Amino acid sequence: MEVVVLIKPVPEAETRLRPSADGRRWDEEGVKFVLAGYDESAVEQALLLKESAPGTTVRALSLGPAPRTEEVLRSALALGCDRASWIEAPAEALGDPVGVARALAAFLRREPIGLVIAGKQSLDEESGVVPLALAAMLGVPGFGGVTNLRWSTAGGVTFDRVLADSVESWESSVPIVIGLQQAWNDPRTAKLPNILKSRRLPIERVAIGDLAGEHPSDARIERFRFQLPSPRTGAKIIDGQTPDEVAEKLVRLLRDEAHVLP
Amino acid sequence: MPDFSLSPEQVSLVDLARKFARTVMAPQAAECDRTGRFPEEIYRKAFDAGLVNLNVPQEYGGSGLSLLDQCLIVEELAYACAGMTTSIIANCLALEPILLGGTVEQRERFLKPFCAKYQLASFCLTEPTGGSDAGALRTRATRDGSDYLLDGEKCFITNAPHASLYTVFATVDPSQRHRGITAFVVPRSTPGITPGPDEEKMGHRASSTSTIRFEQVRVPAENRLGAEGEGFALAMRTLDQTRTPIGALATGIAQAALDHAARYALQRRSFGRPIAEHQAIQIKLANMVQRVRAARLLTWQAAAAIDAGARGTLESSIAKCFASDTAMEVADEAIQTFGGYGYMKSYPVEKLLRDAKLTQIYEGANEIQRLVIARELLATYA
Ligand SMILES: Cc1cc2nc3c(=O)[nH]c(=O)nc-3n(C[C@H](O)[C@H](O)[C@H](O)COP(=O)(O)OP(=O)(O)OC[C@H]3O[C@@H](n4cnc5c(N)ncnc54)[C@H](O)[C@@H]3O)c2cc1C
Repeated sequence: MEVVVLIKPVPEAETRLRPSADGRRWDEEGVKFVLAGYDESAVEQALLLKESAPGTTVRALSLGPAPRTEEVLRSALALGCDRASWIEAPAEALGDPVGVARALAAFLRREPIGLVIAGKQSLDEESGVVPLALAAMLGVPGFGGVTNLRWSTAGGVTFDRVLADSVESWESSVPIVIGLQQAWNDPRTAKLPNILKSRRLPIERVAIGDLAGEHPSDARIERFRFQLPSPRTGAKIIDGQTPDEVAEKLVRLLRDEAHVLP
Repeated sequence: MPDFSLSPEQVSLVDLARKFARTVMAPQAAECDRTGRFPEEIYRKAFDAGLVNLNVPQEYGGSGLSLLDQCLIVEELAYACAGMTTSIIANCLALEPILLGGTVEQRERFLKPFCAKYQLASFCLTEPTGGSDAGALRTRATRDGSDYLLDGEKCFITNAPHASLYTVFATVDPSQRHRGITAFVVPRSTPGITPGPDEEKMGHRASSTSTIRFEQVRVPAENRLGAEGEGFALAMRTLDQTRTPIGALATGIAQAALDHAARYALQRRSFGRPIAEHQAIQIKLANMVQRVRAARLLTWQAAAAIDAGARGTLESSIAKCFASDTAMEVADEAIQTFGGYGYMKSYPVEKLLRDAKLTQIYEGANEIQRLVIARELLATYA
């Protein structure tokens, strides 16, 4: 069976996002995009499933602009995915999670669908909508917050969902779309020879406009402002010659100003 | 006009090395520096990631990288720990003579099984009586039927106690000086080889350095690289290849020192403001970043020239000499920027100075690099 893993390039963890000149998005100038966070876990999970059942192959699928989308797909190939498919779309298309899900659904419908795994949410937008919207559009079950995903003896999958104060275990047939919380293992790192090899593997490309019923300007929502939270004010540094003096001032502030002590 | 931007493939190599350096090497660096422990588990992981044997072609089980790509990786590794990096790249140095001077049969016989699993190799040139004057080495290779018997002692040999393969330079006739020097590949399992105890070093303490004795070590003639007397030229051609990555290693140390100094300068306050706002500190940082960038560019230039087929003696000597002097200077200024804390072992910059010092000494001391640079330079005017 083919496992499809959905991935999205996100800014490297250390990136400091700045609003763009038009104030509508964040400035992509100089930002480095990588495969990260929940998506790394999703790829790891897909590879673990491949390793646990002979005959399983893994295809990485991503939607977005050049060059970042190609680069994360190559990262996925270097980690051990067998195939990579790229839905070429302008960066703006990524701002509309339902539109993204529609394009992914149109792409996936072209072939029989098996198991589809996505990260629970992407690190940059954190909307978490794509896997569930995709499941609804494909008319298959969809689950978020999944851990412990395994093949079932019946040819489907079993998995857990960890809730606030309980753990549920589920079994499902495929096709199914899974929003993955965590893989069983820490994500692996690519080995140097596989990185070199991944550069030479083909990547299947489809323009978003060529997918049935899809047009990049179909988005029904638009973000009109992007702002950074204003820096917090009111922090106070307590000076003092000795720890005792500092502690005494702190207690006085907590009691008299913050009113959190009697 | 040269293009100084990295290809997407090079960016992914840098990413891999950076991730390895920061997640696997850096967390152990201070402990290994303090105790002098040889972190074999890290070298094993480096092998698994494909970061050892960078210069060996893929057909023999190595990574088969260009010199420039090797330099990109070495700088990232050295940023986290120069000592570990010295031990990781010692294989490149030890295997290079087989790549340059070995027959196809020898490359198959030695490199394939060696690179198939985690193993270390050592390059054995320097002797207690002299390193710079390699032509005066004394280890003897005496012909005995179809074999040679090796006798002598080498010193300051990286990884010697941990290696399973040695490339050894010995003389078949000391009276002929460098024309007598001959290179051999010697498996550790050969009787008569005794590595000494680890030396206590000032820096690069995660690396292992020791003497190694050869007593009546029997080596078959088919383990000789090239003809008798070709060993000196082979050693020099090897160093022409491996000197440039030492420039990259030194650049990694210097970049780390600069990063620490700049971050600290923004945090530390004196006279009511961050010390980064004092012009004296700004001038230091401005000088440091110039040197670091120049060191990197000289290293890239030497690597690119050699990748394009040049012998690169001049370029690689300039890169190694400039980058190692830079590492010393920048680490020194980083300590000064930290003030008293810079002198403390609980802060990271004094290690950088101790690590930087070696880069001025090994793979050809900088005095020798300057002799070479001047000789090559003057030859272009003669
Ligand atoms: C940690 C460490 C690891 C090493 N690893 C290896 C290894 O793996 N394999 C290996 O073979 N070697 C190794 N070396 C040896 C290293 O390459 C030598 O130390 C170096 O070449 C210098 O040789 P020397 O120490 O004998 O110094 P000398 O040759 O005795 O030189 C002493 C000083 O005199 C200067 N000098 C010498 N000749 C001249 C001249 N003609 N003109 C001007 N100045 C001159 C030198 O520059 C130096 O400053 C290592 C050394 C160290 C410290």
